[in-house]
Amino acid sequence: MTQPTAPALRRRGAAPHDVVAALALGLVPLAGSAATPPGQLLASQCAQCHGTNGQAVSGFESIRGKSASDMYKTLVEMKNRPAENIMDRQARGYTDAQLRLIAEYLAKLPTTASALPEK
Amino acid sequence: MNRRNFLQLAGLASASFALPRAVRAATAAPRVVVVGGGFAGATVAKYLRLWGGNIDVTLIDRNAEHYACILSNLVVTGQLAMSRIRLGYDSLRTGRGVKVVQAEVVEVNPAERCVVVQDATGFRAYPYERLVLAPGIEFTPAAGSYSAELTPHAWKAGPQTLLLKQQLSAMTSRGTFVMTIPKSPYRCPPGPYERACVVADYLKRKKPGAKVVVLDANTSIQAEPLTFDRAFKETYRGMLTYVTGAEVTGVVSAERRVLTTQGSFTGTVLNYIPNQRAGDIVTQAGLVNDPSGRWALVNPLTYASVVNPEIHILGDSQGTGQPKSGHMANSQAKVCADAIIRAFNGEGPDPAPTTSSACFSPITSTKASWLSASFQYDPGTAAMKRVDLGEAHEPTSDGFQQMYQWADNIFADSFV
Repeated sequence: MTQPTAPALRRRGAAPHDVVAALALGLVPLAGSAATPPGQLLASQCAQCHGTNGQAVSGFESIRGKSASDMYKTLVEMKNRPAENIMDRQARGYTDAQLRLIAEYLAKLPTTASALPEK
Repeated sequence: MNRRNFLQLAGLASASFALPRAVRAATAAPRVVVVGGGFAGATVAKYLRLWGGNIDVTLIDRNAEHYACILSNLVVTGQLAMSRIRLGYDSLRTGRGVKVVQAEVVEVNPAERCVVVQDATGFRAYPYERLVLAPGIEFTPAAGSYSAELTPHAWKAGPQTLLLKQQLSAMTSRGTFVMTIPKSPYRCPPGPYERACVVADYLKRKKPGAKVVVLDANTSIQAEPLTFDRAFKETYRGMLTYVTGAEVTGVVSAERRVLTTQGSFTGTVLNYIPNQRAGDIVTQAGLVNDPSGRWALVNPLTYASVVNPEIHILGDSQGTGQPKSGHMANSQAKVCADAIIRAFNGEGPDPAPTTSSACFSPITSTKASWLSASFQYDPGTAAMKRVDLGEAHEPTSDGFQQMYQWADNIFADSFV
């Protein structure tokens, strides 16, 4: 395993290779993706069961457009109670701060399919 | 024109391919080429388009469609049809704007930043700013006279699944189904144990008297140990023999005989699942570099190869030590897509990515168990660290229904 780029550089959002590559290529900015929404990547890890953008295609509950505080509370409860079901285990995989980011990101997604933030 | 000539021509005439990067850059979107259309490749292609705006994404696979290994053991037993695990690329093409190419990749050319494919019309080059390799596994069969037709592995879903199904179906009540479990790491840790269970369940119901012999190269059950130990000792007591530490040293497919460090075994059906390594294209690109000589080391913040930051390796071929499964491949693909998009925007990767695996395994034809594993990036070791692991207390019929719901959703999250 190689050394990761220096944390200090990463915090400034500057993995050296990536910056050089983007500048050298002079690539046009990516439409609509200039700032990655907080929680987007974390929440995408729910989609294997709860559907892309939290809209399930079958069975499991759709999880978008709900109250962020309710969802956060539920996730923390799952994380801390004795592990009975698969969500009790999955919730244990995240810090409370990550669970809050997930809940807040999903809460902002609209509930109607036609309002999907497709790009 | 042979491949060498083609590559020279491509290099000289790269104006039509990758050369005028500065010129191209002013007008064009960055290009990502993805090789391999399984769960990792399909998911990274989809999410690059979903999150990345105008990224030009090309997905290349030798097949016109993908057959999921997920649920495939129930195709082996005849409970599900092949159509249940068939996943096409039409939705990625029409709904997500992914360019889908059916062709064989014959070479990765990092210097020219292009991959060369061959199809019926000849050779073509696809230039990239970033390349993602997600070819899955290759097998390393033991010495002997091995034939995957005579002794199907059925560890890549598709025609192999049907071969094993036919052989199982032709067994009689006096038959023995012998199967081997490869040395870890291999694709889908619970998969072989799941197969042993559903095959035993099938034989118990349809060919009472038939036996199952499970030869495990490992010294213990590799996933869901409580679930499978109980299934082997209780549910399939008297008809299933589980042998640990049975490393395969030779195979004679024509005789359906396997030689192991625990003795020689002959079956009516031999389901020999060989040991595994990264897909050939990863090896050919010179990216297999872990201590075992089987997998490609990557930075888990980006899944970029540690020897070439423009080439990402996802899913079964990479060597982060995370389990090799469709769910994990999907999970890693999102981390990779996010990192590539950030890189195109001149940003570093998310410093704290998570991945997870949550899967359901049929234990009988009506009950399934589940497995959950969660990983966080550990900056101290620059590796993904498992932070939680657990399994169902017992297989249930609710779990069996949830298995189908999970499959529907992960199929759609990856391929639609």
